[in-house]
Amino acid sequence: MPNITFVQPTGEAVELEAAEGTSLMRAAVSNGVDGIVGECGGQAMCATCHVYVRPEHADGLSEVTEDEDEMLDCTVAERTERSRLGCQIAVGLEHDGIVVDVPSGQV
Amino acid sequence: MSATFHQTTVQRCPVHEGAEPSRLGAAVSGGTAPGESREAPVADWVTLDALHRDPFPLYRRLREEAPVHWIPALNRYLVTSYAACHAIEQDEATFSADERESLMKRAMGHSMLRKDNPEHQRDRDSYGKTLRPATIKKHWNGIFEQNYVDCLRRLKKAGPGADFVWDFAAPYAAENLRLVMGFQNATEADMQRWSQTMIDGTGNYADDPDIWAKSERSSAEVDAAIDEMLPYFKDHPDHSLLSGLASLPIPLEAIRANMKMTIGGGLNEPRDVLATTVWALLREPEQLEAVVADPSLHTAAFEESVRWVAPIGMYPRQVARDTVLEGIRLRRGDRVGVAIGAANRDPAVFEDPESFDIMRPKKPHLAFGGGVHFCAGTWVARAQVAQIAMPRIFDDLPGLRLDESSPAVAGGWVFRGMLEMPVAWD
Ligand code: FES
Repeated sequence: MPNITFVQPTGEAVELEAAEGTSLMRAAVSNGVDGIVGECGGQAMCATCHVYVRPEHADGLSEVTEDEDEMLDCTVAERTERSRLGCQIAVGLEHDGIVVDVPSGQV
Repeated sequence: MSATFHQTTVQRCPVHEGAEPSRLGAAVSGGTAPGESREAPVADWVTLDALHRDPFPLYRRLREEAPVHWIPALNRYLVTSYAACHAIEQDEATFSADERESLMKRAMGHSMLRKDNPEHQRDRDSYGKTLRPATIKKHWNGIFEQNYVDCLRRLKKAGPGADFVWDFAAPYAAENLRLVMGFQNATEADMQRWSQTMIDGTGNYADDPDIWAKSERSSAEVDAAIDEMLPYFKDHPDHSLLSGLASLPIPLEAIRANMKMTIGGGLNEPRDVLATTVWALLREPEQLEAVVADPSLHTAAFEESVRWVAPIGMYPRQVARDTVLEGIRLRRGDRVGVAIGAANRDPAVFEDPESFDIMRPKKPHLAFGGGVHFCAGTWVARAQVAQIAMPRIFDDLPGLRLDESSPAVAGGWVFRGMLEMPVAWD
């Protein structure tokens, strides 16, 4: 199972194993990772699953779709070129060891 | 929940702080944890009248005793803690939206709100981009602005002593909704009548034949209006919901039910949040001063308002398999009411929850629901209320105040909002 690490704004890291094919958001919410809300259940409709993907792990992720792009304009914390919606990233074995930063706020 | 996870560093959701992981796991997965669960206490002192007048003191008492109660007056369980409501939202496999003997299905047809996935998702996808932020920005905001100007003129014409809900908030929300939905063959007054009578049908627990008759009449009128608009939009497409639906291979029955559900929720939510927020700010001069000085705070005022008084305060679910919810046993077939109006005032999550405070630390509230049924109209409501109407109304009506001579009245618990709100200005 792929390993994911969520790094809080405080620097504290939460490492977990996710079933293949699940989304970053689902993995975080099911494990109670602070700061990932996932209000809309993964429909790219709430922007409360915002994460910053570390540049060294950005390769091989799916492209940002139009829906994701417009929703990323609605995030509470600043949007950067590393911004993604956790619900739109499916975790595959090739992403084992991915590290993402949790933004300072989601709501 | 098909995915399994192994947690290497324990970190819990703030909502579940204090809950044992095993118990939390049981609640989330729907499994039972023998020895840790108990039956829901019975709250026979809860009456429909008291809930309608002011549900919040009742919620407080319920929550202090248990997260879930059996309420004889409702003939269902009522869930009042944040943690339990949140757990339900995250677990649609255990808590089905497809309720049997649903009054809403009778009044409006079988809409996406009462379907589980994958059927729900197909209906929801049929709404396309109409309600998404980019379309709102490009297309709807300009229309909302024009409607604001028209409705403000109407309110001013009614003069001081006018009712903010019925002379402004309701027509404004209704006209916005009419255009977003694409009912070019109806008026805002039709929208208001349709919405109210069908909502009355969905809440017709007393089985009043007169309420059913009115609801059925509106339902037939909406069907006729849809039948007329669909062919029109095939040749004259625009950004509205009906226009999008006109080109999709989706059953007419689903279109009708979903449009009726949208007429219900799409009107009262923006209307009620607008009136409640203005009412709350007029009673809190310091907070009013703050938003007038910094209009960007209207967003915070909006979110605090829906936390404080969720316009849709309760929605139903049916238990799909035996489960334990925050320590309370529920069985397959049980019907529950998810009282998000109560969850949003849970002191385990919100400090001093009964007070309206736009400066409170931000936390996720449950006012738009959560999970796959998260309100599709959330961004339209935010745009028309927090971005357009709220920042302007205090500028355009200097000295806006509540009319001292006849006090405002709020009511309801399944839907809660201002029923009367006379105002004056300089
Ligand atoms: S969970 Fe709502 S946008 Fe990702």
